[in-house]
Amino acid sequence: MNEEIPEPGRAPEEPQARRGGAAREGNGLGREEDGAPLTRQRADGGLNLKPSGRVSVPEEATQPDGATVENPVFSCRDVNVFYSGKQALKEVSLDVGRRQVLAMIGPSGCGKSTFLRCLNRMNDTIAGARVTGHIHLDGRDIHDESVDVAQLRARIGMVFQKPNPFPKSIYDNVAYGPRIHGLARSRAHLDDIVCSSLTRAGLWEEVKDRLSSPGTGLSGGQQQRLCIARTIAVQPEVILMDEPCSALDPIATARIEDLIDELRESYAIVIVTHSMQQAARVSQRTAYFHLGELIEVGNTDRVFTNPRHRLTEDYITGRFG
Amino acid sequence: MSRRALRKLVNALALGLSGLATAVGLFFLGAILWTLLRSGLAGMSLQLFTAMTPPPGSAGGLLNAIYGSVVMTVIGILIGGPIGVLAGTYLAEYGRNARISGVIRFVNDVLLSAPSIIVGLFVYELLVVRMGHFSAIAGAVALAIIAIPVTVRTTEDMLNLVPQGMKDASTAMGAYHWRTITSVIYPAARSGIVTGLLLAVARISGETAPLLFTALNNQFWSSNLAAPIANLPVVIFQFALSPYPNWQQLAWSGALIITMSILVLSIAARFVVSSLGPGGRS
Ligand SMILES: Nc1ncnc2c1ncn2[C@@H]1O[C@H](COP(=O)(O)OP(=O)(O)O)[C@@H](O)[C@H]1O
Ligand SMILES: [Mg+2]
Repeated sequence: MNEEIPEPGRAPEEPQARRGGAAREGNGLGREEDGAPLTRQRADGGLNLKPSGRVSVPEEATQPDGATVENPVFSCRDVNVFYSGKQALKEVSLDVGRRQVLAMIGPSGCGKSTFLRCLNRMNDTIAGARVTGHIHLDGRDIHDESVDVAQLRARIGMVFQKPNPFPKSIYDNVAYGPRIHGLARSRAHLDDIVCSSLTRAGLWEEVKDRLSSPGTGLSGGQQQRLCIARTIAVQPEVILMDEPCSALDPIATARIEDLIDELRESYAIVIVTHSMQQAARVSQRTAYFHLGELIEVGNTDRVFTNPRHRLTEDYITGRFG
Repeated sequence: MSRRALRKLVNALALGLSGLATAVGLFFLGAILWTLLRSGLAGMSLQLFTAMTPPPGSAGGLLNAIYGSVVMTVIGILIGGPIGVLAGTYLAEYGRNARISGVIRFVNDVLLSAPSIIVGLFVYELLVVRMGHFSAIAGAVALAIIAIPVTVRTTEDMLNLVPQGMKDASTAMGAYHWRTITSVIYPAARSGIVTGLLLAVARISGETAPLLFTALNNQFWSSNLAAPIANLPVVIFQFALSPYPNWQQLAWSGALIITMSILVLSIAARFVVSSLGPGGRS
């Protein structure tokens, strides 16, 4: 199974790469152009995109086009998730590219959050949840016995649907990650991390005079930016966002979207969104899920202007979901 | 028309009956408090807090009994509080879905409503018989055993109220479970846990039966934890049943002191909830 995973351009020492500069230098690959898969799919008649059709046929021919990218951060193959025996995700194979935003769209209950939780093994915390398949982060199997799940999660930030600051001061919220992972050499260094994280999250000007007041006292949009600051304070390699704007007003949403656009320069971002406009605005790749299956994935412009699958087309034209 | 009249009648009847039930309940509560205040206040004096329990017929106070009660309550909550909080933490966090947790919850509920005299007899067998004599420490252990189920219950309930999103946020940051509990969950549930502990203190500070079999009583000042120690509930029990008027007066005053302490604790518990509300200062 492992040999199947295409990892061109991956430097051999990369499995050891930890957070910090090294892991993110990558090859600077901006976005994946899916010209080649496009022609292959056309040859295929544009049909038979269902992952279930993929068994022993050469991989490229049947995988949803654009499921693979060069030098991916995450490489997922045949991922299934069961909740108490009920299958919520079916044979999903999908790569996450570096320094780009992957948007996941699809009707409610199609498994977007479930897939997101696979990436940082948050499904482990759900009683009765079982994950099968292969998920590699920087070429290393995240389910390997030698992987410390807490260390793994430290490399993957997560922003939730509902802003969830800790019942602590604004400062302590941002300092939480650096503290538990011992990232700060001194108090001054910690101050630095807090300041720069809040600045990157676009919150510094608003809170610099009240760092010791509770994070829960901020507005919804500010709380969500605080949660983003908290996440980037540990310099993760990937940021997962599960409908980060669904509880926010349009102005706060616009601010978060701008922020995502800036963060893309340093991080790989996977965002679940209910808003197709948002997916179109912030992402470079878009994946469409339906009833637990990955139906289509590709360059965002291409998916929105020229969807290849009926289900995708129905969804983005609003005929469905 | 008559149906409407009937409904009105039934409504008036229900209102009247529930009003009456309330009045009866409040009447007895009021009567008890009134008697307690009237009889207890009569014996209130500084001497109550400075002098030892006297022999029949001479003047004295309740100092040794108050001291003994405070000592045993404090030790009791110091033993029972941490055990209760940690067990509640296990139920809410680690073993939420474990089969053993259901058993623990059931047993805990049984303990919660078990007659406290049984706890007294248990500790009597466990400690008093082995040590060969009654002791303050045996009394404190009995009180701890009574405090544990109360604390387990309130702690579990309070931890369950902490939003799952907050716990997930910490887990997703890469925090180990224990770190999440101490750094995020406990601070979020702090006021609830403290309230539970205060209510446990209130509960054990009035217990008599378990102390009869464990700490017994002591006419004199004693700070030796291995020896019998005076305490308000047993002194009240003994003095109230005696034929001596000065002892009976001390029993009234002691009862008033306990009642007032519990009242103060309950009010403090409410105050804690409002001032340390969740999401407060770190
Ligand atoms: N914790 C859970 N326990 C049981 N079933 C779940 C759980 N989380 C999600 N599911 C089920 O898995 C499916 C996918 O859910 P989810 O990933 O949350 O969808 P989405 O985020 O796309 O709306 C749904 O049918 C949902 O009912
Ligand atoms: Mg979801």
